[in-house]
Amino acid sequence: MIAPNHAADHPATGDEARTIRVRVLRQDAPGQESYWERHSVLYEPNMNVISVLQRIAAGARSADGRPVAPVTWDCNCLEEVCGSCTMLINGRTRMACSALVDRLLEEQPEEIELRPMSKFPVVRDLVVDRRRLFRGLERVKAWVPVDDSYDHGPGPRISPEEQEDAYPLSTCMSCGCCLEACPQYTKIEPVRRDGESVEDFEQRRQGAFDRGFVGAHAVSQAMLFNAHPTGKMIADERLESLTAAGGIQMCGNAQNCVAVCPKGIPLTRSIARAGRAATVWAIKRLFDR
Amino acid sequence: MVAVEWVGKRVGTSVSTDESAAASFLSRNQFLIYRLFSLSGLVPVGAFLVVHLLTNASILGGAESFQGRVDLIHSLGPLLVPVEIAFIFLPILFHAAVGFMIIAGGLPNVGSYPYAGNIRYTLQRATGMIAFAFIVWHLIHLHWLGAPVRGTAMPGFDPHHASSTLAVAMGSMAMNLLYCVGMLAAVYHFANGLWSLGITWGLWTSPAAMRRANVVSVVVGVVLAVAGLGSLVGVRRVDVEAARSMETRREELRRMLEGEVPLPGAAGVGVGQPLRADPSAAEPQRSGT
Repeated sequence: MIAPNHAADHPATGDEARTIRVRVLRQDAPGQESYWERHSVLYEPNMNVISVLQRIAAGARSADGRPVAPVTWDCNCLEEVCGSCTMLINGRTRMACSALVDRLLEEQPEEIELRPMSKFPVVRDLVVDRRRLFRGLERVKAWVPVDDSYDHGPGPRISPEEQEDAYPLSTCMSCGCCLEACPQYTKIEPVRRDGESVEDFEQRRQGAFDRGFVGAHAVSQAMLFNAHPTGKMIADERLESLTAAGGIQMCGNAQNCVAVCPKGIPLTRSIARAGRAATVWAIKRLFDR
Repeated sequence: MVAVEWVGKRVGTSVSTDESAAASFLSRNQFLIYRLFSLSGLVPVGAFLVVHLLTNASILGGAESFQGRVDLIHSLGPLLVPVEIAFIFLPILFHAAVGFMIIAGGLPNVGSYPYAGNIRYTLQRATGMIAFAFIVWHLIHLHWLGAPVRGTAMPGFDPHHASSTLAVAMGSMAMNLLYCVGMLAAVYHFANGLWSLGITWGLWTSPAAMRRANVVSVVVGVVLAVAGLGSLVGVRRVDVEAARSMETRREELRRMLEGEVPLPGAAGVGVGQPLRADPSAAEPQRSGT
């Protein structure tokens, strides 16, 4: 077996009773003021930010010993494939599950800072409402349209080269890191007005989402399905959506998306390909109508 | 001690949830407007910048060579003003108006994500604003458009006495510094915009192609910056008195050739009477055909 305490040679374990200082930006409900709260957690080897949050929730006390409501956060798979635990850790967007405490303390030993994503409305503490992210995927029809009751036989063959090209794009987990880091993707948080019905508010929110920038993730998914032999049957519909308000033209080429993507998806290649497809499509529309 | 600190609510620029008629027009034609914005940066605004800086650099070859280039531009005569308005002023105004709109919609985050691409994104916006402010100043300082604004406080630029009036206008060190900053901002904005434009239109899509395009953009930028700085050096080397007498000589010659004043020794031709209107002068040509 491997050595029982693999982190024994790490200087952090020198002091067994060492505590980690954590600063969390909390918010009790949507639209409320946010506030910082300090917590301290006993250090254990090989912790990640999720295990730190679990200790904070179990303790439910701030650093000065005051009982507080447990900090809320989102997580699921704990292996960087579900995309639900995105938050701002030491000021940068990343997945909490793959953010290892030892690495975080190396870059900033005094404290770990946790904030909710800034581009989505906060539901509570570190939980945000990412409906707009999924609406972006709907806008570009990020699927293969095969809703049918007939057997159409096997689909067309996809060459290994095409598979290699498409596979990285298919690893997108809708974590929203690309959107959080994008200077062109700004927060849309409509507030329900007095006397506004739930349906009216929903419609107004959807309208605002649909005029906002669709985002790098959706552009990349549109390119993934436009390259798929069956998916490309509605390629024009995707391009129509990508050239509508809030489409591909909103990209400012800051290229933060590709720099922060936890899956290393070539998002800027997808964006440039979408730009090329949009150019060709717009010229066709201009002359073929 | 204090575990809870209240912070102000984080506010980002957000898309309005209600659309006015103007906003609706911009939304519906967003793709077209942004693509025209991108194109106008290259043609005609960028192309004009290149011609302008290379023309200026001809002053390195002496006052007479510069005067020759200026005369070439002014040989357009009465067409020059409409050409300036249609191909320079209106495109710059359009590019600036859409540009400021784009800047207002973004939320730069270079502090949190100090990546090269993000720094370039932020610089692109900063240099755009600097270049626009500089162009406004440049027109007030030298152009005929600015004549009513500058009045008699500043001498301005006379195209028939290009080098001497320019040397006088550019006399102070502060002015040289101002032009240096404004010109370099415009050059950066154009060179980086060239690279960005290629992604927008889908000319370079892979990371390798983007790197190659980047090299080309850097070369273009360096050449233009050298031309611009060279013309500032060239203006400083102009001998105002010598340039003025050369320009006066050329001016006299031009007016004689255009028939505004008689050629020396052309007896019988009245002042202001064009030479070519003399029927005896045209007679041999007519019989020759």
